[in-house]
Amino acid sequence: MSAESNKRSVTVGIFVLVGLVIFVAGVFVLGGQQKRFTRSLRIMAVFNDISGLKVGNNVWFSGVKIGTVKRISFFGNSQVEVDMDVEQSSQQYIRKDAKATIGSDGLIGNKIVVIQGGTISHPEIEEGDRLQTVAALSSDQILETLQENNRNLVRVTQDFKALVGNIRRGKGTVGAVLTDSLVANNFKMAMANLEKASVNTAAITGSVSRFASKLNTKGTLANELVTDTTIFRRLSRSANKLENVASNADKTVGTLGQVSQNLNRASEKLNNNNSPLGVLLTDQETATNLRITLRNLNEGTRLLNEDLKAAQNNFLLRGYFKKKAKEDEKRKADSTDASQK
Amino acid sequence: MLSDTKASPAPPPEKPAEPGRLTRLFLSLADVASFVGRFFREAFLPPYEFGEIVRQCYEVGYRSLLLISTTGFITGIVFTNQSRPSLSEFGATSWLPSLIAIAIVRALGPLVTALIAAGKVGSSIGAELGSMNVTEQIDAMEVSGTDPFKFLVVSRVLATSFTIPILTFYTIFVALIGAFINVNANEQTSFPSFMQEVFGAVTFLDIFASLFKSIFFGFTIGIVGCYKGFHSSKGTEGVGKAANAAVVTSMFLIFIEELLALQIISALRGS
Repeated sequence: MSAESNKRSVTVGIFVLVGLVIFVAGVFVLGGQQKRFTRSLRIMAVFNDISGLKVGNNVWFSGVKIGTVKRISFFGNSQVEVDMDVEQSSQQYIRKDAKATIGSDGLIGNKIVVIQGGTISHPEIEEGDRLQTVAALSSDQILETLQENNRNLVRVTQDFKALVGNIRRGKGTVGAVLTDSLVANNFKMAMANLEKASVNTAAITGSVSRFASKLNTKGTLANELVTDTTIFRRLSRSANKLENVASNADKTVGTLGQVSQNLNRASEKLNNNNSPLGVLLTDQETATNLRITLRNLNEGTRLLNEDLKAAQNNFLLRGYFKKKAKEDEKRKADSTDASQK
Repeated sequence: MLSDTKASPAPPPEKPAEPGRLTRLFLSLADVASFVGRFFREAFLPPYEFGEIVRQCYEVGYRSLLLISTTGFITGIVFTNQSRPSLSEFGATSWLPSLIAIAIVRALGPLVTALIAAGKVGSSIGAELGSMNVTEQIDAMEVSGTDPFKFLVVSRVLATSFTIPILTFYTIFVALIGAFINVNANEQTSFPSFMQEVFGAVTFLDIFASLFKSIFFGFTIGIVGCYKGFHSSKGTEGVGKAANAAVVTSMFLIFIEELLALQIISALRGS
């Protein structure tokens, strides 16, 4: 093979290689973009209306493309089942209570399936799960709402027109304000008063300012109160003491309360006819008996005194009483001496 | 009495009747079918002319690269510029990359490459083989024991069928670069963003459809050029006619194929 032929073969080889590189790179970039080479899982959603969604349209979750629509088929009577392949890496973020809706990629863009919501309390989606769906707002519904808004706007502008007409004719409060000269004079006076009030406010502000400056002047009582830390410490201690006194007073009051409770219980017992003291204090019959008994006792005591006096003069006991009288005299004499010393 | 018994001269032998227009059409169709059938038969049967195939790849592919790349680059710029006003009316100039990508990958890339190749390569093949036919080099090859069909036709058709798809990918790539330069200059779109939009709009079906379409375009250019050259009329005029017919016929067939491909791909795409 000649050198020229070799050169030509090498050139053709490079030409073909570069062409194949462009092709393969395109395929891989496209595959990467369409998530063809990523692991995915198949989930489903049943819609009443898919608004022109097509196979190959994107699936978004939180604004991120996570998969594509793989199959669209009728389901039940008139519903449509949409099968989607979503990336396995996004599985952990999509919960079983997430909802699917049909959206649009821009104002006039392609239709997309939007998965939204889902709470962390629910488990993550699995292969073959069927998501709940939310009916998307169609352009017809939007136009219907806009039409309603337009009607309201017409009513509002008509009302506003009537209102402005009344104001111009001087009707109502606002009309009077704008057209009545008396109201204008009152308004002027109110403004003048307001001006005076603002002057007064300025004077008050000046006074407050002067007071504040005095507060900052050292040696004044206010400044001492505000700045002297010794006084504050003493005040603090006094307050603590007062607090202690108050707590002691509380305790005392508590004790007094207990005492009064005890007294109450005692008085209840005294008032009770079944207790001895209650009987003594409240029963009339017992009181009468007691009085008779005491009278008998007085009588008995008087008679006993006579008997004892008679006994003292008895020869058997006379010696004992004499001896006792002597001992008493002697004790008195000893105590008198001790006091004199 | 002399009888006029002189025998009248024998009538000249009757020429075979000229076939009608319809018959000629069917005959030429049969001839084309036979030519194509012979190509497939010779392509799969040994011996294989690898050296000649590589030489033809060099001639058809590498020698056309600069012309086709330049055309593709200009196509990208021009198409972007022409599409911008329509999109800007809707405030949708951000869709330019998607629009250009779909247009270039699906249609413009294969079509521009095939048309340029038909003009450059088809005419060259028609003229070369026509000239060889006129100067009886083809007969000489046959006498010398070389199969002219295998050496001249199979190698060229295989080379065009193989290199046109590669040239198509070059064209697509260069056209997208041209489009990016234009979009970047006007909309300040970055390269990653541009490519994101491009590959967001294109599908695998688009890429593989372009690949298969360009294989057919390459085959058409090669087979038409070879057929017209092989069947050129004698004389110097025949060479020019063969070259011209090769270009016109292959371009016409390319558009027909594009139309058929569009129907098939639309059916596959489901829209």
